[in-house]
Amino acid sequence: MHLNFDYLVVGSGATGAIAAKTLVDKGVQVGLLDIGEEDNVYKDLIPNTDFLSIRKKDTEQHRYFLGDQFEGIPWETTRVGSQLTPPRSFLTRFSEAFFPFDSESFQPLESAAKGGLGGGWGLGSYVFSKLELEAVGLSDYEINASYKEIMDYIGVSGIYDDGGKYGLGSNKKIQPAMKLDVNHQKILKAYQKNKYKLNKNDIYVGQSVLALLTEDKLNRKAVQYRDMGFWSDTNKSAYRSWMTIDELNKKPNFKYHKNCLVTKFEEFDGGVRVFVKRTDTNEIQLYTCKKLILSPGVLGTARIVSRSFDYKKEKLPILCNPYSYMPCINRRQLGKKVDQHQTSFAQLVMYLDDQKNNFDVGVAALFSYRSLLLFKLIKETPLNFADARIIMQFLQSSFTIAGIHHPEKGSDNKFISLTKDKDSYTGDKLVGQYILSEKELFKNKNREKKFKSALTTLGCYPMKTIQTPAGGSIHYGGTLPFSENNELFHVLKNGKLGGTKNIYVADGSGFKYLPAKGVTLTLMANANRVAKNVLKNE
Amino acid sequence: MITDSLNDIEGVYSREAELFTAYLVSSPLNEREKKLYNKAMIHFDLKLSNFEKELLKKMMKSNINMATVDAGLAILKPSSLVRRKLFTMLAILEASPNYTSHFFSKEYSWSYYFKLLYVGVRAVCRTIAGVFIVKKIERKCI
Repeated sequence: MHLNFDYLVVGSGATGAIAAKTLVDKGVQVGLLDIGEEDNVYKDLIPNTDFLSIRKKDTEQHRYFLGDQFEGIPWETTRVGSQLTPPRSFLTRFSEAFFPFDSESFQPLESAAKGGLGGGWGLGSYVFSKLELEAVGLSDYEINASYKEIMDYIGVSGIYDDGGKYGLGSNKKIQPAMKLDVNHQKILKAYQKNKYKLNKNDIYVGQSVLALLTEDKLNRKAVQYRDMGFWSDTNKSAYRSWMTIDELNKKPNFKYHKNCLVTKFEEFDGGVRVFVKRTDTNEIQLYTCKKLILSPGVLGTARIVSRSFDYKKEKLPILCNPYSYMPCINRRQLGKKVDQHQTSFAQLVMYLDDQKNNFDVGVAALFSYRSLLLFKLIKETPLNFADARIIMQFLQSSFTIAGIHHPEKGSDNKFISLTKDKDSYTGDKLVGQYILSEKELFKNKNREKKFKSALTTLGCYPMKTIQTPAGGSIHYGGTLPFSENNELFHVLKNGKLGGTKNIYVADGSGFKYLPAKGVTLTLMANANRVAKNVLKNE
Repeated sequence: MITDSLNDIEGVYSREAELFTAYLVSSPLNEREKKLYNKAMIHFDLKLSNFEKELLKKMMKSNINMATVDAGLAILKPSSLVRRKLFTMLAILEASPNYTSHFFSKEYSWSYYFKLLYVGVRAVCRTIAGVFIVKKIERKCI
């Protein structure tokens, strides 16, 4: 039988792009199936200059800041995805139609975009500790080699300071850290002054390790501190998965197939049949390959696997980091003018290592608030808009947002399930439940209390703690937990899907634990590792 | 006929936009932002309840009424469609080079703290009066 491809990868997000690249670099024939939504409206509208110049001069700025359909003026209480500005709204376009999800307690985000949700990634790049990797189900020896490879490829900047051991592991060969804005310089100075007290309370502060270039790298330019990170990727200083896809599209042994929603697979002797529903024509197409690598994201993989195994398992576990944020006022910055040059990304990270073993570490990333515009903050105050504007304008330079991620272990009260739904695009939909136990809630609250106290010590006064709905962290995992046994609905250590011969999972479906540290770098390293195992024919 | 009624609606929206701008940033409104507010209102097509219509009517009478009703709503009904109209105007103003200076941070002198204190006290007074007015209008509409 003639096979369309040797290797087929599903999905172009952080993991799919890396899995495909790893295979293509080895010279094998690779196809990638993707829906591939792109922004065709805003990207050419945004001038290649800094935030303040745009604000002062561009009369068309309302088109991308507010959106042509005014989608950038949120009215409903949106606690998730504030970084999905109008130019980024294509990231979740059609996701409700293609990936129906029904739950009162869990609101995940999914993407049909080229480059997946990686297009809105906050760039935080963390190397997991040995204990964390063990809990995830990964071997540190194998993954450490992939960490190095991926960090070198995507370009990571940072510094080995007090946060180094939590974010960088032993990887010290990276680009210099980005320059801190005045707000964060003052916070870091306050940390140095209060270091003894904070360290005694298990709090460590370091500069962010980011997938952001501070030095030119091939055709990508160093960050220019234009504060347009939520709006455009003009200089490609921030790594995005679509860059890898564009790079692969130039290679003769790679073929990108757009408008392809993979619904299920079927194994036959010597290969895999892949069923695709074309999102442009609604036609069903069939692809064949020797090996299939699933990486459409944890929820996407759960759908494909459940359908392929005839909905045999009613419930699949789900992991998702609980996420809350605290808007703070840095008293040292009150009434100051905001820097012309800064970035929108996290500049400092606080780590709470209360077990003193680099495991179950709480993480609070600190951001300055400016480029998402002031009106969204004004809405959050209990005052009339006119007076709130005057007060918030004054406070603007002192706004510091602490985004807190909690570690996640999963429980029986956190699950998803694919059920039939004849009205949906694929004839089924995911339903789910995500309920934190009293013990987990207590632990998270306690962690938030400690961060609050540390922030106050640093001169940043938290105004309130805002809990995002479950799913808000956009970090998912654990639906097909890693297992030593070759059983259905599990992923083997080498990345192969249990009960199959030629199907691999390169996304986070196997992860049995999600540290509070951002998971994206580890997802990419794992995709690289799995792709290597595919080639070894393990 | 249809054109006439569209002109009427646009006229109403334009009047709202002018008064909202005077209230929010104490400045006259430019044509470009007025058109944008019109476009946004036609797009959102907000269906105000009788109570909200009464509130809006009251607000349009003067700047002081605008501030007090807005302050009352901020506490009692922050999701009111009347506030959504104001919020849309606020967003349009912020995303316009003509009004950005009302949203940019500045280097403030210490004396500005007195202004802030005044604004804070005024905001509290407006809230107290606003709560009273909004409740009164609500009672009238039931």
